[in-house]
Amino acid sequence: MSNDQQFSDSSNASGDDEKLALWLKQVMQVPPHSESNPAFAVESSARERETHLELLQGSGYHVSFYQQLPDFVMALLTNHEMATVHYAPLLYHLAGCQECHQGYLELYDAMRAAVYPQEPRPLLGQGTRTLTATPQRMLGHLCQTLISQAEALWRDARNTQKDVHSYARSLLQLALKISARIVQSSVRRHATHDLVRVATLFERADDTPEEDSSALYSFTPALAGTGGMRGKKVVRSAGTLKRPFKAEQPVIHLHAHAVEGTIVQRDQLLELRLHNLAPTLRNRYVQISVPLGSLLEPVRWIGGNPRAIRSTVPVDEAGQLVVPLGQTELRLHDAEERSLLEAMFMLLEVRTVE
Amino acid sequence: MPFTAHDLRHHPEQSYPLLYAYLHRNAQRFLGALKYDAFEVDTVVGHVVEQLVRLGLFSGSDVTPLTALDSLTDAQFYAFLSRCVKNKAIDRLRKRRLPVNTAAELETVAGNEHDEDPLDESAESVWGTTPFAAPEEITLRLTTQLELRNILKHCILVLSTAPHQLQAVLNELQEMGADELLHVISEELHVSLPASASQNPHLSQHKDHAHKKLRYCLQQRSTNLTVRVALRLTQYTVRSSDTNDYVVDIQTLAQDDLSEGDARLGLNKLVAEGLLSWHGEETVHLTPAQLKRLLRFYREE
Repeated sequence: MSNDQQFSDSSNASGDDEKLALWLKQVMQVPPHSESNPAFAVESSARERETHLELLQGSGYHVSFYQQLPDFVMALLTNHEMATVHYAPLLYHLAGCQECHQGYLELYDAMRAAVYPQEPRPLLGQGTRTLTATPQRMLGHLCQTLISQAEALWRDARNTQKDVHSYARSLLQLALKISARIVQSSVRRHATHDLVRVATLFERADDTPEEDSSALYSFTPALAGTGGMRGKKVVRSAGTLKRPFKAEQPVIHLHAHAVEGTIVQRDQLLELRLHNLAPTLRNRYVQISVPLGSLLEPVRWIGGNPRAIRSTVPVDEAGQLVVPLGQTELRLHDAEERSLLEAMFMLLEVRTVE
Repeated sequence: MPFTAHDLRHHPEQSYPLLYAYLHRNAQRFLGALKYDAFEVDTVVGHVVEQLVRLGLFSGSDVTPLTALDSLTDAQFYAFLSRCVKNKAIDRLRKRRLPVNTAAELETVAGNEHDEDPLDESAESVWGTTPFAAPEEITLRLTTQLELRNILKHCILVLSTAPHQLQAVLNELQEMGADELLHVISEELHVSLPASASQNPHLSQHKDHAHKKLRYCLQQRSTNLTVRVALRLTQYTVRSSDTNDYVVDIQTLAQDDLSEGDARLGLNKLVAEGLLSWHGEETVHLTPAQLKRLLRFYREE
């Protein structure tokens, strides 16, 4: 039976069928997603528009169904006899999920234009553009999109029990790499805002014990690059003010409220130096956690686990501590490699060791 | 060098700038009066990028399955991207234009720009209508096409493990006058409806739970396979020459787009639901009573 024929069959539905169809629509209505993206709005202030492009679509879509849409649409476009039967679960899903249905409508129209062209042949992609030449806010938007997709996979996997770990990991890795190409620190911070949180979701899925909230210090880097707005006077964030102006110096500055730290490199060894740690920590050993440390693998972490690097010496009487973190071929001298390391140290936590 | 769908899948870092440049050029082309608004242009570009990521194409590598988008020719793929851009551009033009213009202004605009305004083209597609354009159209199809309606019946049947929830659904069917479906289900399950729905004080709660279970069941691939295999059993079984049983081999069940593995999965589910006796043999045997039951539930109404 062709699809046209099937549609005409539907048009002959009885009153009973119509009532049943209305009831089914109610049944299939997916309850609103509790974790839907609050940033799902295109309109934003002029200042934000200049630097950030928020995610444009909501997060209530369902990856496993959404990714079937192209094949379903193609089956419809080619009048595949069994299209509706073969994709019955998807069809049931589309009846109740507004966001996936909207995706279906957009795809159907665009794929129809591709398969049965009625317009002049489109321009072909040309050029030798590079990431460096791509607007910063679009790199930021791509990072957010990749991170959001990883989270959608995690959500979907809870229902489908699929192993999406390696796919999600590759998306987060790409987000991390792209973020290292963002020069403007405010854009980079915005772009990677959810990276640690989403990466942690998957760490927990790996049966890693859930992190307690006992971190005494949560350090974030004072990112290299300008914090100002394009075309306006450059303004450095508070975290970067104390730094020498030369951005490529081989050190990553960290801060956690009033406490500061640095990561320096000696040959291949990355070393964490902390100052002014609380008196309660003096003469005690601490444990360092780098949540994104296992996302990329350019660092051979001391002890093998970046979430549990134990200090080799206790905090000294002056509240200072030096902890070797791991070995890497990446060089802090190199701007791009340094950005990657900065992204990896987006969060560094310090806990006491019992 | 132009990029391809393959590049986006396997070399996302290298091909993203090219994708951006291509989408950007098209967005400017379709945004008309807004083409110099960098934010609007990037909004259109960003929308298409999000779509490609969601679909598992961008950065999908070998992890996400290939889809129909991967098999488009390069020209078709560019046409696809171009159309995505155009649709979003129209969406943005509508959003930006309608709230600020009076009807008289809109008439003037339409009169002046009719040759180039993408909004004009969007009014009616030259290809005709889109199937399943509204959820109501989908549910009507689901309740009128035998194979799809069978899935609904099957999932209501599965509810029999929770009698209160089943009753809640049967009450709903009764209230809406879906007599045919109600008759088939109540006969199959040998259940009778209570005289009054108000007898059960927790009916609303049971109804919510039942709907949740139905939603889950209806969207499961395994449910679809079970129902399709059940229907095929009613279609392809033949009477055995030496017994009273009806028989069909797995190869016959696994036709068209149903693999042998799919057929076996469906058979196993039917066994689990007590509709069949089968232990993995190449030939499936049904007693006349089993076939009658399948026929009544999946074939006849």
